[in-house]
Amino acid sequence: MDRDAVLALLIAQLRDVVPDLAEKPIIGTDSMAELGVDSIERSEILMNTLEALALDLPMVHLHGPRNLGELADLLHGKL
Amino acid sequence: MSRDVGIEALHIYGGAACLDVRELCTHRGLDMPRFENLLMREKTVALPYEDPVTFAVNAAKPLVDSMTPAERARIEMVVTCTESGIDFGKSLSTYVHHHLGLAGNCRLFEIKQACYSGTAGLQMAVNFILSGTSPGAKALVITTDISRFALADAAAIQEWAYSEPSSGAGAVAMLISDIPHILRIDPGAYGNHGFEVMDTCRPGPDTEAGDADLSLMAYLDCAERAYKDYARRVDGADFRQSFAYLCFHTPFGGMIKGAHRHLMRKLYKAPAAEIDADFARRLSPSLTFGQRVGNTAGGSVFLGLAGMLEAAEISQPCRIGLFSYGSGCCSEFFSGTVTPDSQHRLRGLGLAASLDRRYRLSMDEYEVLLKGEHVVRFGTRDTRLDQRVIPAARDSFSGGNRLVLDEVAAYHRVYSWA
Repeated sequence: MDRDAVLALLIAQLRDVVPDLAEKPIIGTDSMAELGVDSIERSEILMNTLEALALDLPMVHLHGPRNLGELADLLHGKL
Repeated sequence: MSRDVGIEALHIYGGAACLDVRELCTHRGLDMPRFENLLMREKTVALPYEDPVTFAVNAAKPLVDSMTPAERARIEMVVTCTESGIDFGKSLSTYVHHHLGLAGNCRLFEIKQACYSGTAGLQMAVNFILSGTSPGAKALVITTDISRFALADAAAIQEWAYSEPSSGAGAVAMLISDIPHILRIDPGAYGNHGFEVMDTCRPGPDTEAGDADLSLMAYLDCAERAYKDYARRVDGADFRQSFAYLCFHTPFGGMIKGAHRHLMRKLYKAPAAEIDADFARRLSPSLTFGQRVGNTAGGSVFLGLAGMLEAAEISQPCRIGLFSYGSGCCSEFFSGTVTPDSQHRLRGLGLAASLDRRYRLSMDEYEVLLKGEHVVRFGTRDTRLDQRVIPAARDSFSGGNRLVLDEVAAYHRVYSWA
């Protein structure tokens, strides 16, 4: 899976957890916090994405990225 | 040798004053969906003449008073568990031991590991009893924590904003012995997970710093890994089937909802509807008191146990799963059994009624306390406490059975009964 596919998966999981964002255009430079996604929802999106990627990583290893694109880069590097 | 060990008696102290959390969120301009996710109703606010010693003593006093002199004489260890210490050397337990009038042949010390402290203290006491080195001995373990994080400077209130609605104050006193009426611990049934992480800390006496995202991530990792360590030790353990009820350390209700979902997904890939129903059935009773006093740090998991015993339906002996997490971090999943008698004893304490009797602060009164002008700062050598800061709150004390702080003289804290 390439990096853009990881980003697309991440955005799909985000829309699934926060249905209010289903119609909103979302790109890699957006941050989840700025989109109004709270910390509990963010952790759920991460968990669902890890599950979809069949990755078993500690959540703390995903701390640091400032936006969805950086998060996709990080996840892609773990595949 | 008997393997019976656990909590013989338990009492909580939820303070003398409280604040409506919905009102606070409105005042701070926090949006209401966020408030709903907190699953909070009220939070306890410590008054200037209340400190970790008064909270600890006020939690333990009714418990100790209900014992016979012979039973009291068997309390051979008093452990205070806190991240709100008042001295680097002298432990709170020395003051607590004095004001409870306990015997001198007693180990007195304090334990720190953020919100994990209470479980560390409990396990210390449990293993003292199990060791059999002093047959029939009892240990008093008291968690006591208060939060006064807005005192540093004007910017501190802003920095504290993310945890202000959920930061509470409270103490839980537990008598640990070989007659565990409240919770019989499953000896040897526990699992740990710890690692170094800078998620939340108290770098100064009145400051808290942290990263809410990192703290949540560390909590979720620990919930999963501590449980897996438990399952590695305990044959046939099944998170879904083994525990009738669960009590988790609760910074705020929404966090344990996230952790429960995390575990149910990781362990069973359970569908959302099943997860929600399971949370409502097995975890929501544990929120009963926590949502009225806020996060009590070291005591929060035991406040959860008390709330569960108050609110759940317990018609036969059943197993409880408990999860404790302390930032920094260390965590533990452990278990024990409760009975209808445990519930009868707990309900007889009238804990909900004592929370109802707290003075309800207005936002203006809360703001006065937040400024902290009347609070004793860490390291104060001499001062006399103003007992009339919020007169109506002080007037709510009566009966002479609660400890308050009067003065500090040459660093020594002087208390009286109010």
